[in-house]
Amino acid sequence: MSLLQELGAQLRATSDELPTGLVTVAMERLRTATELLNWVRQTSVDPIGVPQLGNATEHAEHAAAALRLTQDAIAAYLAALGLAADAGTPPDQDWKAGLEKKDKQDEPAPAPGQEEQQPPPEQLGPWWRERVEKLTGEAPPPPQANGAPPERTADTAELLRRVAAGVRSGDRARLGRDLHGVNAATGLGLSAVTPPVLRRLAGDLLGHEPGPDDLQRLRGAAGGRVKSLLPGTPPATLDTLLARICRTPPAEQAPAHPADSAVTASVLTGVLLARLGRDPATLDPGAPEPLRPRGVDA
Amino acid sequence: MASVAELRAAVDAALQQVTEGQAAIQAAREKLGEAQQSLAAALDGSANDAVGAAHASLSQADQQLEECFGATLLAVEQAQTYTATL
Repeated sequence: MSLLQELGAQLRATSDELPTGLVTVAMERLRTATELLNWVRQTSVDPIGVPQLGNATEHAEHAAAALRLTQDAIAAYLAALGLAADAGTPPDQDWKAGLEKKDKQDEPAPAPGQEEQQPPPEQLGPWWRERVEKLTGEAPPPPQANGAPPERTADTAELLRRVAAGVRSGDRARLGRDLHGVNAATGLGLSAVTPPVLRRLAGDLLGHEPGPDDLQRLRGAAGGRVKSLLPGTPPATLDTLLARICRTPPAEQAPAHPADSAVTASVLTGVLLARLGRDPATLDPGAPEPLRPRGVDA
Repeated sequence: MASVAELRAAVDAALQQVTEGQAAIQAAREKLGEAQQSLAAALDGSANDAVGAAHASLSQADQQLEECFGATLLAVEQAQTYTATL
């Protein structure tokens, strides 16, 4: 390898390793937090940090744009060196960033003396299950006969794969069980992990990056199936999700229930996956990158 | 009508999301620092416009993330003040 090729390889590696995925994760976490606080804000005149979170999200968006500019500048420099054609464009991995398992060592250590204590009972459990019942039309499963607490998935990425599997089988009862079977924090986390996944799947379905002109096509491809699996979801929730995918401003509306967006986004993910004929296991960050089709008739 | 316990729990859930967002921001800034060093070492002495643009946009990304983190701190403070009044 010549010195020039070595330099090119180093620059490509730097470009590929820019933290675009982490910035996307941060943006989506902040958006989910804003959604939750907006819901609380309906009962209060207190801004509860919502304007500040709006600022934070805007800064994260600008950071993401600056990272894209950096990648473009590196690509331009490589082209100037005559190296661009050598590069096999690496598959875009950002869409999976939010699905990565959290590293245990990144979690804060429990306070001394609290290592063995049970977590406090979840306050939002009934609030979450009530809304899941309204959305899916499926009542929560009855408590187990032996009184033991139900086994709950604590991993949002795992929940997303389960929901996608339920969508694929068209089994609304299973979908309801899976959504009832998590705590509110895990369920609400769906809002944060799904946006990049949805945009990627929609892009694969359309054969190009989704834009405002694709809104109707996506609505036609997914709307009916989402509605049949989630008969209680407000139409505006799906419209807002599709508008975000297509990078078009959603229509003005009152703050929605935070669970609506989380649940609907997960079902929409499952519907798009099914339209692409992909297995829910392809949502596993460790799964091989699915082949991007040239465009599927939506 | 939501109960006080539900409101408090919803704010807590939001703050958990903010905390995870902050962790991602900090991790991104660390990676950015590594990228800046790597670019500086590889492109030392280059006068190419694209190199200047890459340095400038990396620096801008870092500044935006710093301001993003600062804004989240203010948001957390306001949300905690709110829950203290419930």
